[in-house]
Amino acid sequence: MDWVIWLIWIVKGFFLAMFLLVGFAYLTWYERRALARIQVRVGPNRAGPFGLLQPIADAVKLIFKEELTPAKAYKIVFFLAPIITMVPSIIIAAVIPWGPQEPQVKLFGYTISLYVADINVGVLYLMSIASIAVYGIVLAGWSSNSKYAMLGGLRSTAQMISYEITLGLAFVTVILLAGSMRMLDIVEAQRSWWFVVIQPVGAAVFLIAVLAEVNRAPFDMPEAEQELTAGYHAEYSGMKFALFFMAEYQKMIVVSAIAATVFFGGYLGPFVHRWPLLGPIYMLIKIIILLFGMIWVRATWPRVRYDRLMAFGWKVMLPLALAIVFITGFGILLAQELGDPIYLTVIPAASIVAGVIAVIMVNRALTRKRILSYEPR
Amino acid sequence: MAATPLQTQTVDLAARFPSAVSVDARNGYTGWLVEKDKLLEIARSIKEELGYDLLTSVTGVDYLPEEKMEVVYHAYKTTGGPGLIFKVQVPRQDPIEIPSVTPLWPGVDFQEREIWDLLGIKFTGHPDLRRILLWEGFAGHPLRKDWKEGFYEEDAKPFKSRWPEGNYVSSEEKNPYKDNLSFPKNFDPEKWIPEGEAALYGALARYTETDEQGIKSDRIVVNMGPQHPSTHGVFRAVVTVEGETILSLKPVVGYLHRNHEKIGERNTFLLNMPYTDRLDYFNSMSNNFGYALAVEKLMNIPVAERADYIRIIMAELSRVQNHLVLVGMLLNDLGAMYTPALYIFEERELILDIFEAVSGSRMMCNYFRFGGVARDIPEDVLQKIKDLVFKRLPAKTDEMDRFLSENEVLVSRLKGIPVIDGPSAVQYSITGPVLRAAGIPYDIRRADPYGIYDRFEFDVAMRTHGDLMDNYLIRLDEIRQSIRILEQAVSKIPSGPINSQKPQYQVRVPAGEAYGRIEAPKGELGYYVISNGKPNPWRYHVRAPSFINITGLEKMCVGKKIADFIAILGVLDIVLGELDR
Amino acid sequence: MHEYIAIAVLIGLATLIALIAIVLGELFGPKKKSAVKSMPYESGMDPYGEGTRRMPVHFYLIAVLFILFDIEVVFFLPWAVVFRKLGLFGLIEMIIFIAILLVGYVYAWKKGALEWE
Repeated sequence: MDWVIWLIWIVKGFFLAMFLLVGFAYLTWYERRALARIQVRVGPNRAGPFGLLQPIADAVKLIFKEELTPAKAYKIVFFLAPIITMVPSIIIAAVIPWGPQEPQVKLFGYTISLYVADINVGVLYLMSIASIAVYGIVLAGWSSNSKYAMLGGLRSTAQMISYEITLGLAFVTVILLAGSMRMLDIVEAQRSWWFVVIQPVGAAVFLIAVLAEVNRAPFDMPEAEQELTAGYHAEYSGMKFALFFMAEYQKMIVVSAIAATVFFGGYLGPFVHRWPLLGPIYMLIKIIILLFGMIWVRATWPRVRYDRLMAFGWKVMLPLALAIVFITGFGILLAQELGDPIYLTVIPAASIVAGVIAVIMVNRALTRKRILSYEPR
Repeated sequence: MAATPLQTQTVDLAARFPSAVSVDARNGYTGWLVEKDKLLEIARSIKEELGYDLLTSVTGVDYLPEEKMEVVYHAYKTTGGPGLIFKVQVPRQDPIEIPSVTPLWPGVDFQEREIWDLLGIKFTGHPDLRRILLWEGFAGHPLRKDWKEGFYEEDAKPFKSRWPEGNYVSSEEKNPYKDNLSFPKNFDPEKWIPEGEAALYGALARYTETDEQGIKSDRIVVNMGPQHPSTHGVFRAVVTVEGETILSLKPVVGYLHRNHEKIGERNTFLLNMPYTDRLDYFNSMSNNFGYALAVEKLMNIPVAERADYIRIIMAELSRVQNHLVLVGMLLNDLGAMYTPALYIFEERELILDIFEAVSGSRMMCNYFRFGGVARDIPEDVLQKIKDLVFKRLPAKTDEMDRFLSENEVLVSRLKGIPVIDGPSAVQYSITGPVLRAAGIPYDIRRADPYGIYDRFEFDVAMRTHGDLMDNYLIRLDEIRQSIRILEQAVSKIPSGPINSQKPQYQVRVPAGEAYGRIEAPKGELGYYVISNGKPNPWRYHVRAPSFINITGLEKMCVGKKIADFIAILGVLDIVLGELDR
Repeated sequence: MHEYIAIAVLIGLATLIALIAIVLGELFGPKKKSAVKSMPYESGMDPYGEGTRRMPVHFYLIAVLFILFDIEVVFFLPWAVVFRKLGLFGLIEMIIFIAILLVGYVYAWKKGALEWE
């Protein structure tokens, strides 16, 4: 019996890792095709039907590339950095539930739960693993002994830790609404209303912070091609570079999965409690829609300048996130004390007001800056 | 239609400074010869009392037969009107020294360095007189008439040596490697290590550590370029940064240098026409225009009426596509992932189709001839141009404006980030849209009209703030004005011959000098051509707007962020083919 | 504890994948080292000065601020879980806690720690 549990763990872990690996490969394909359609191009279409074999061709090419290590690099750290970046991007997905606990899924007579691990501090786990990813980037930038890599590493570290606070506060609103840190509870709490409906501004804050966390456009400072050529992974080549690349795209998939879980009802959908295997399908649909959003943003928006990005994170996002935490708490309290869930509508109403105020503040800051700099020198 | 009016003398300098200035009385020459010792004093009076505030072009000429070196200054008023040409002649004996006018016009900085580099004239008082296009340690000054390149054949084309007995012998076979290369003493090219970098890094303000309330942090010297994705080619800037802020910056150019001007002196006048295509390879039509103007001035010939219209149409189409590409690539520099650039390339392709239809080539058009153009516009191509000008281009420009100009990220990246203010821009000899965005409405098409621009109704686009946003918006304004000119030109174009001269392979150019300048999309494009009556120009100088507009780059960038530097470089619109020549 | 063992298994698997990838690259990639290749990239020029330097002070300030606020978020998490039980008392208590923290935040803002000019 014992070895069966081990086997289940290994098989489930293997499935999850493979899902993310294949997902990464086809996300690159999907991104390139989607970008191409947006940019009146065709995109990769030579390798296989619709270019579907393109990721494989890319992988083979990267395997046959020479691995270069700069002469004065810190060799061990330089070797470890891509691994430290890549591993968290896979294991962070462990707590994401892919289907409901009830009814149980039976396979070969064994009960299979549709998650790798169900820990009662799921949100805390997500936050802690997410912050490990910073180490890989800063170590990669530092150990390369190259100025571009160093600047990129510093930039991304400062950026990621700044937005991590906002991300954490966005998680707090979710915990407030669900009353639990367990991912399954959070999903089940959304059976009547998805949290994006109750706390739309919270979801927006979460999505923006997530874009900054995974270094995607318009917050792709660390990689800012036009400024820092490639940022922290400028010195990496071959498979070590592929690991960074892999980590970035796996993180995209994972954060989309997390966003779907905490704000967009996770595996919830019609009939999912009758046929639990529908859960993963609903998840996948939601993930793909969120991923398309990220690609869309990348195709259309210029990059924010670095100082503006930091100012936005500290001066706008952080106060806004704090405000919506208290708005959520107040709304829940109101509904609880007065015994009528109708009072929960206070939350979206007040949050939207807070969001509008934040947007006005940003606009005002831009206007003020303009007037100042226009004064005669 | 008469040729472009010759520049007339409006100020009598000789009367003002009878002892130091004399009229340049050589046949075919205009301007004033100024005593070397009085140069600064007279230049100051020209700038401050006579109001010639824009010193656009400074160049040198080597008069080997007369044993003289000459530096030629072209000064203009930003309020418009013809220019003032003054020259300094010195005997051709090393060391050749002339006082630098950088204290008056900082914009001549790079041009004086170029003259030192290529002609070996030292400018006393120049703050940073290093070689600019060639590498430090290069032997000789190649534009001197007694300097011969490796594999030198003859002074002027057509080379008789190419086909002596009906078969071609390449010059490499006749002159095996090292046989006619001359190196300085003790110089071994195999063992040579470049050493010019020390001077360059020394020229940067040297920062190692800063003391900020007792805390020390390092300042880093970073090379941006030549192999960098957003320096538009092989442009290089050495930057000192602290964190994200630029403390000092030195542009390094010349990686694409091919001594265009020496090649130009070897060529015949007509053979130079395709060479001008290679300068600013986005606007070969405009480049042709400037060169044709200069040589037509020398030859004193009129331009055929229809050709005049065709020239305007081509030059303005070229401006439209140049500005379209600039906007697209600027967005790309800001990190917009090619999307605007690719949409803009769709329009550019249509314009290039027209260039191909009239000239046979999409980019290297070689379309203008002295007195007219090479081929006529077919009727169906004219119809295509009409479709573009009346329907597609205005609609697409508005669409671009609507989608891009109010994007919040774009506004936050561009608005309120100063590039250069008007007075400084004039000081730095900056011309073109960058000058006009800074509130100086100086457009050669209006200020000193050439061709038939005086017949068209258009406004000189101008913005007042001189920030990145205005530099971006003025491109859209200029596209709209160009479309206005095009609309008038395509509806009014007359029929008739396309060249006032007979088609010819060799033109007869009388001795003299001429400076032909046009408002190229990037700024003032000038050709200073000297003929001594032979089939080849004695001197062929290009006043390249890209080159001179980056003179003020350090001033523009210090104190800004790295990301702003990229954007400023984007709006300056440099093309390395023209910059490095 | 079972759940954490499952995560440990996953960590093992992920590390294995990363190592396999690197080993594949090492096995099949060409290995022709040269002095120029092992030079750090600086836009095609020979690097000038050290690559890794002391970084500007500002980054440390951001790091310190981050620690401050990240701990605050950690305080939030258990509070949020039991929020419904704590009721109004919990909300007011947290508002007081944040008010104290915000004093520091405003101080940092006014001192210019959040500026990048």
